[in-house]
Amino acid sequence: MIVFLTVFFVASLLIPALGKRWGTRVFPVIALVPAAAFVYTLTLGPSVLAGGAVVEELPWIPMLDLSLLFRMDALAWVLSLVVTGVGALVLLYCRRYFTDTEPGLGRFAATLFAFAGTMFGLVTADDIMMMFIFWEITSVLSYLLIGHYTGRRESRGAALQALLVTTLGGLVMLIGVVMISVQAGSSSLSVILDSGLSGPATTAAVLLMLVGALSKSALVPFHFWLPAAMAAPTPVSAYLHAAAMVKAGIYLVARLAPEFSDVPGWHAVLVGFGAWTMLLGAWRSLRQYDLKLVLAYGTVSQLGFLTIVMSYGTPESAQAGLALLLAHALYKATLFLVVGIIDHDTGTRDWRQLSGLGKRAPVLATISAIAVASMAGLPPTLGFVAKESVFASLIEGAAAGDPAGWVALVGVTLGSVLTVAYSVRFFWGAFATRKRHVRCEVHHGPQSILLAPGVLAVLTLVLGFAAPVVDHMVTPYAETIGQTHEHLALWHGFTPALGLSALVIAVGLLLFRWRAGVARAQDRVPDTFDAARGYWKIITGIDRFAAKVTIFAQRGGLPQYVGTILSVFVLSVGAAACLGRVWPDSFRAWDYPVQPVIAIIMIVAALGAARARRRMAAVLLVGVTGFGLVALFAFHGAPDLALTQALVETITLVVFILVMRRLPARMYAEREPGKKVRRAIIASSVAVVTGAVGLIALGARQHAPITAEMPRLAYEGGHGRNIVNVMLVDIRAWDTMGEIAVLVVVATGIASLLFVRTRNVDLKRVPGARRSRLDRRAVPPDPHVSDAANRGPRQAWLIGGRTLTVSNRSLLIEVVVRLLFHPAIVVSIYLLFAGHNEPGGGFAGGLLAGLALVFRYLAAGKYELAEAVPIGPGKVLGTGLILAVGTAAGALVFGGEALQSAYFSTELPVLGYVSFGTSTIFDVGVYLVVVGLILDILRSLGAQIDTDQDNNDVGSSDEFTGSTKGAAR
Amino acid sequence: MNALVPLVVIIPLIAAALTLVVGRRRRLQVLISTIGLSAVVVISAVLLVLVDTQGAISVNLGGWEPPWGIVLVVDRLSAVMLLVSALMLLGVLVFATGQGIADGDAETPTSIFHPAYLILAAGLFNAFVAGDLFNLYVGFEMLLAASYVLLTLGGTGARIKAGVTYIVVSLISSLLFLAAIAFVYGATGTVTIALVGERVAELPMGVQVVLCIALLMGFAVKAAVFPLSFWLPDSYPTAPAPVTAVFAGLLTKVGVYAIIRTDSVMFRDVPLQTPLMIVALLTLVVGILGAVAQADIKRLLSFTLVSHIGYLIFGVAISSELGMTATVYYVIHHIIVQTTLFLITGLVERIGGTTSLSRLGGTTSLSRLGGMMKAAPFVAGLFFIGAMNLGGIPPFSGFLGKIGLFRAGVDLGTPLSYVLIVAGIVTSLLTLYTLVRVWNMAFWRRKEEVDDGYESPLLDSLSESPEDDGAVDTKENSALMYVSATGMVGLTLALTVFAGPLYDYAARTAADLSDPANYTELVFPNGLPELEGSAP
Repeated sequence: MIVFLTVFFVASLLIPALGKRWGTRVFPVIALVPAAAFVYTLTLGPSVLAGGAVVEELPWIPMLDLSLLFRMDALAWVLSLVVTGVGALVLLYCRRYFTDTEPGLGRFAATLFAFAGTMFGLVTADDIMMMFIFWEITSVLSYLLIGHYTGRRESRGAALQALLVTTLGGLVMLIGVVMISVQAGSSSLSVILDSGLSGPATTAAVLLMLVGALSKSALVPFHFWLPAAMAAPTPVSAYLHAAAMVKAGIYLVARLAPEFSDVPGWHAVLVGFGAWTMLLGAWRSLRQYDLKLVLAYGTVSQLGFLTIVMSYGTPESAQAGLALLLAHALYKATLFLVVGIIDHDTGTRDWRQLSGLGKRAPVLATISAIAVASMAGLPPTLGFVAKESVFASLIEGAAAGDPAGWVALVGVTLGSVLTVAYSVRFFWGAFATRKRHVRCEVHHGPQSILLAPGVLAVLTLVLGFAAPVVDHMVTPYAETIGQTHEHLALWHGFTPALGLSALVIAVGLLLFRWRAGVARAQDRVPDTFDAARGYWKIITGIDRFAAKVTIFAQRGGLPQYVGTILSVFVLSVGAAACLGRVWPDSFRAWDYPVQPVIAIIMIVAALGAARARRRMAAVLLVGVTGFGLVALFAFHGAPDLALTQALVETITLVVFILVMRRLPARMYAEREPGKKVRRAIIASSVAVVTGAVGLIALGARQHAPITAEMPRLAYEGGHGRNIVNVMLVDIRAWDTMGEIAVLVVVATGIASLLFVRTRNVDLKRVPGARRSRLDRRAVPPDPHVSDAANRGPRQAWLIGGRTLTVSNRSLLIEVVVRLLFHPAIVVSIYLLFAGHNEPGGGFAGGLLAGLALVFRYLAAGKYELAEAVPIGPGKVLGTGLILAVGTAAGALVFGGEALQSAYFSTELPVLGYVSFGTSTIFDVGVYLVVVGLILDILRSLGAQIDTDQDNNDVGSSDEFTGSTKGAAR
Repeated sequence: MNALVPLVVIIPLIAAALTLVVGRRRRLQVLISTIGLSAVVVISAVLLVLVDTQGAISVNLGGWEPPWGIVLVVDRLSAVMLLVSALMLLGVLVFATGQGIADGDAETPTSIFHPAYLILAAGLFNAFVAGDLFNLYVGFEMLLAASYVLLTLGGTGARIKAGVTYIVVSLISSLLFLAAIAFVYGATGTVTIALVGERVAELPMGVQVVLCIALLMGFAVKAAVFPLSFWLPDSYPTAPAPVTAVFAGLLTKVGVYAIIRTDSVMFRDVPLQTPLMIVALLTLVVGILGAVAQADIKRLLSFTLVSHIGYLIFGVAISSELGMTATVYYVIHHIIVQTTLFLITGLVERIGGTTSLSRLGGTTSLSRLGGMMKAAPFVAGLFFIGAMNLGGIPPFSGFLGKIGLFRAGVDLGTPLSYVLIVAGIVTSLLTLYTLVRVWNMAFWRRKEEVDDGYESPLLDSLSESPEDDGAVDTKENSALMYVSATGMVGLTLALTVFAGPLYDYAARTAADLSDPANYTELVFPNGLPELEGSAP
């Protein structure tokens, strides 16, 4: 079995390509695979029917107890024969049904073929989860097949509907499947059925599984998808919607019935819904004009019938049910195929357009007659044999006083009457000669198309006579329930069942005779139960509900999202803090008196920033909170942190000012007072909760923190007296490495926003400026001074200053910056190296160097920046990152842990004792990254915005060349 | 072999630095990134095997012992997260490279994309191996900062707007996280995760709960758990396709990863089951309803992303070994399938010129997505597989993950867990509904039908993406993009084929997590450190 499934799977991947090349000739070739599976199944017959079972297993997910476990027993055997046999014939039929020009032919062939394989897997799977997997795959393949005519709206809609309805049932069933396999401790069907489960949980599981069966087999209230699915090509209807897929639900019922038919609710659900479905389907079938729809509703009806019989749960009913299943597959597939031929030959399926087809196509009519007879349960067909035994078994049940037996018997009888009526009406509609109709045009296609329906019809007839053979096939399954004394036969003598059959046929024929009256009666009965409309109502209802919920949830945009997040924080953490009653017994209000003063200043500044309308004011007030933090660090005895924080605040301010050149001076202000109040409440609650949690957390501490050891570790292991710096570049250097990567990416991001396409934009140098530091003469003339002055020794304080307009230029600042720049760089390098023992470090040093660059730019503009740092910031950042990360990697090369530091100390003249560690290289990397970041900020937020503004302000260009010319005039 | 652990962060960082240094040489940059990420794939595969066979690895960086220094920890959970995310990053890099070949530098400019992408990778890997709470934060910062850059690539109005939402929300989540770290340090005096776990257990339960919720807040925003999830669909879908793919696949999962660590190592005694289940329920249902309401495929997928995080939270909430096993499998599945689907949608967008199903505003005559089946049958096939997988159709991994979760839920057997199973079923069905509707409209529906003013009740209640201006802009795809997308689909199928070994691995992972003592002993092989000094 696994071999066949593998072949099915692999071949279905290849078929699309073959279909493209071979056209419809691909069908007979691929039909060989299900045919071979059919033959293989037949060969297993003797052993399986003798009560043995063929088991194959391949482990898959042991953890979930899921394995490729297949078991061919009597029930699986019969169904395998049906799905492979009919599958092969339908594929063969496709050869003539389609033409080579059919769009998506290869895809269709592959899907139909894969479907045959999947059905084979479904009926042979013994792992219940495996069965479910095949079950769901059939739904998906059915979706693809129903939607084969992709350009037709109704076929797409029908496909979606079928998929949703069957998957809904499937998923409900999944819960049942999972529950029952957990209860049984195994997912093997045979184990589950043998484990004698009972109790409410089992009942729930079984009933949930039945929902799947109902939806798959198109029982009320899920029946509506099946008639809609007739939008599919006819071979699909014949195979999926008559012989195979819809039988999956019946198969499941048959599988479970021997063990679970006494579960509470089983009969109520299956016999009840079965009877309802049988009557509803037959009733609807009786008023269809589309031959295919007659069959479709007929199928719905018969599926209800099959469900009643299969679920009934006596050995005799099981025997009868399986025979009925076989009969139904044979005649219903035949009839669908016949309708396909009629459609092809005449161009219509509406029987009101047909007349005299029986005379024109006698073979087709004969085939149909046999199948219709079987459908109506007329002797000597298999349908008659099966229905006889059904009546017999139900009469027996009813006679024993079983209420379900009575419901079943009455339902089946009434349904059968209607079945006879619509069967006859179908045949009459399709083939009779009616005078008032114009004789339709008939274009006979190749006769070989009759092969498949012909074979099926012959079987219907032959198996009717060969009832003992069928009996031999179905009895082993029935005997899993109990000993049966009944046998299938054409003639049992004069039994109550025969009487019932005769009655049914007679009344059915009368109904047909009075068809005009029946039609009038049908018109008068309103459709009280229109499940299809219900489906649409539910779907659009879900759509509308979803839209409402979503609009509600996403309505407010960012302010609402932030509000929600903070509110959840306040409510959840606040509630936990209040409910937990975990307040510390005592706490210290402040460490030293200045602390609350600084705190109050910071709070006031923060409130002011939130209320400020002018951007500048807000930025400055935020700056106040930052410098408040500087003060707190300083008072706590952390000069290093204070220094760094102060530099960061300064740089931040510069960045803000650079950016604000492009922003309106006033900020957007919320006008709605309610929102303002709400936000104020949320914000202050966050503050209160955060403070409270801090209090709780610190109050709960039971152990000493790790800090006590730090000074010793820093000095002994890190060779530094500045604990903060040793932590940054050694003990926790890994964090620093990550954080400088953040700086690198932030710099890149700023460049990205301003330059958009690349970060490698070269700033323009001062035209004519020296390219070499050695050649001091190549300084361009200063446009702002007289020619005479330019004739002198060409020196410049800041060369970029010459590019500015007079109004923007301040010689004083140029001079000051020129004088301070180099000392600032020197100090920054000092900070970098001194940092290990004194306040400072790479971060502070880099910030200072960056500030020096900021002043160069502010004093003399973007050209000056290009002159100050003629290489791209990308390279600076990259080099810095390589140095820092390289230190980490280097240690690995030398066999240490990543970032392990090494120290070399020596006595040097002048400097005295010097200890140099690899951590210093790391710090150099930090320094470079910080400088690179500031450079990137200046280039993009500074220089690029300058350029953008220049380009926008037409006429006030201070492009160097322009202003030179202006000055020259 | 310990040296391999820091390399997963070091290599991408060095690669990022190199791509900056080589500046303008695009091919070299692509080469560096590809080699770098390939190396990480190899290393993480080796680590996975090592960890699985010889036990978890803990590395004291710089030779500093915890709790003073930073410790990196690779256990089974970390190893699998590393490997899967490295594979995704590599696959998407190939796709982005292909896109670069097709478009020139327009969508993903090399000199910006590569360094940012590599730092994102480094941050992600760092987060997965961090054994130190603050270092976890640093990992988050790296990946977030890089994600800000990637989200706003190209600087269009829509992206800047989405970027503002994303950055502000992310900064707030980082702030909450940072504050929570301060609280945890305040209460325990350490940030080494293993020690935090030990110390937290000694605190009064009330304090534990407060700290735990404070810490989970930040993670929950990142993981997009209801009601902290609304920002996600407004920010992810506007980015370039490869970026959205990585974000969708990986960034939310870092949040989930952190939640798992919080639940299993740091706050193992806090009873989280009921609150997590309720949150999971709402995440599932509200998320999928959002997807149902979308006309734009990318937005729709973003909502399914949020919704399916609910499954993961459900798994964490069950907190049995089986529940955790299924969660681990589901995380792997979800990372791969979401990334893949977004990439394929990227292909669809470029072929069809849009990702919207309905006509804009119902009045404009702009043609929208349709006829994709005919225009691009191969892409259609890829999309179908991905959609069925996400929709939970067997035998794909989405189904296998759900089976595990449902089994664990049935095992648990509380009424709430049954409610969650039902919600899971409903979510699964609605996911299928939305995706099949996409298939019907975008792939099956003919282009001519769209042009003729197609109307359907199925499209009536759908809302357009706010950034959609209705423009249709088709682009060529390069072969490399198909290679990448096909490879990724292949990976999703491998999840089914190798589901057995994967589930076994997940089970071993869950067994590790079920006993936090494993983790503590790994980080402190010589017992817990005795600290001098007294509590303040």
